[in-house]
Amino acid sequence: MAASLALPRATTAIPWVTTVARLVLGGVLVAAGALKIGNPADSVVAVKAYQLLPEPVAVAVGYALPILEIVVGVLLIVGLLTRVAAVIAGLLMFAFVFGIAWAWANGLRIDCGCFGGGGQLGVGQEPTYLLDILRDFGLVLLGVWTVRFPPGRFALDGALGIGGDTGDDDEGDDR
Amino acid sequence: MSKGERTKTKSQSAREKIKAQQAEARAREKRRRVVAYTTASVVAVAAVGLGVWYAASISRSEEAGAALAPVTVQPDGSVVMANAGVAAPVVDIYEDFQCPACKELERVSGPTFKNLAAEGKAKVVFHPITIFSQEPTKSNSVRAGSAARCIADGKQWMAFHDLLYKNQPPESEVGFTADQLKQWGKDAGVTDPGFDACVTSNKNADVQLAYSKKVSEEQKLDHTPTVKLNGTEIDNPVLFSPSQLRDEITKAAK
Repeated sequence: MAASLALPRATTAIPWVTTVARLVLGGVLVAAGALKIGNPADSVVAVKAYQLLPEPVAVAVGYALPILEIVVGVLLIVGLLTRVAAVIAGLLMFAFVFGIAWAWANGLRIDCGCFGGGGQLGVGQEPTYLLDILRDFGLVLLGVWTVRFPPGRFALDGALGIGGDTGDDDEGDDR
Repeated sequence: MSKGERTKTKSQSAREKIKAQQAEARAREKRRRVVAYTTASVVAVAAVGLGVWYAASISRSEEAGAALAPVTVQPDGSVVMANAGVAAPVVDIYEDFQCPACKELERVSGPTFKNLAAEGKAKVVFHPITIFSQEPTKSNSVRAGSAARCIADGKQWMAFHDLLYKNQPPESEVGFTADQLKQWGKDAGVTDPGFDACVTSNKNADVQLAYSKKVSEEQKLDHTPTVKLNGTEIDNPVLFSPSQLRDEITKAAK
């Protein structure tokens, strides 16, 4: 606690901010994965709609993405392997930002398929690319924060003493 | 050796002992962390691997058998694939050549439909419709559907149908051009001398649109692919899981 006398309040706040970032990012990932995992075919179609990846790769991504999102999301929520999980989550979100921007730039009219669904939009439906990009970019930032200041309060990493800056002091992070 | 020196040696060795103990404790702690970290990583990677394996296994396609059940093009443009005398259960497939989910259905469950028909376990009926109302997808779909209607031979039709899905254009581009369709017709073994002219003139476009409208209204279709088993729609999770699909259809045969 006496680490920094200059900014004691800021120092105490950082782990809590990390916790919030973890919960938001992890929660979004788990929700997104859970909504997609029941139907791999839909997931594959949604990935293909971006016209970004060659067929076999798109199929593999369609199968892998939902479970990857759920596992990484759960790791972030419980604060286990926080830094690695945050790196993967941040990269995923960055890839989504890129994919959506690609679809937009190429004049595709698709649903991002972020939370299930996906594919071509029907008549009268408008793409929500800007909103999707802003949301995912915000999530990239949460990932970056978590990578910089892991693992935050209420993290298994802290309790187990593995990984993260605050995991090394013996303060009992989960209190 | 004086008494003072002895005390010093003693306390020195005690200090070293403590130091050694601390080092050992640190090493133990480090080992514990490595084990915890490794265990967590292995479990996480295994969970992802298991999930991918599961997704891939429920969508694993059957191997298409060598023999195809007899295929008959009906006057209205629907196409029946069934062994002689097999009238039930009826599997109606409403699909659009331009629709990506239909392509995915053909990729995942297409062989299952073919096999079930060849095994005499189902009467499969294809209804190629145009569900799109926007360009360029609508015209793409109409051109493809119209070209398929230029083929009277069942076996050639099925080969053409498979080629259309294999070469499906993206939804944002003009595709299924007359030249492509004529080429794929040749590849599918179409020998009818009138085929090229029929495709170039887009002769069956109106029939295709009228049929699509009629079928969509009668069957209350709002999405493709829609697959009905004896008139009841099969839900997507079953439809896109070949083994479950086979079970569902063979159950209906009893």
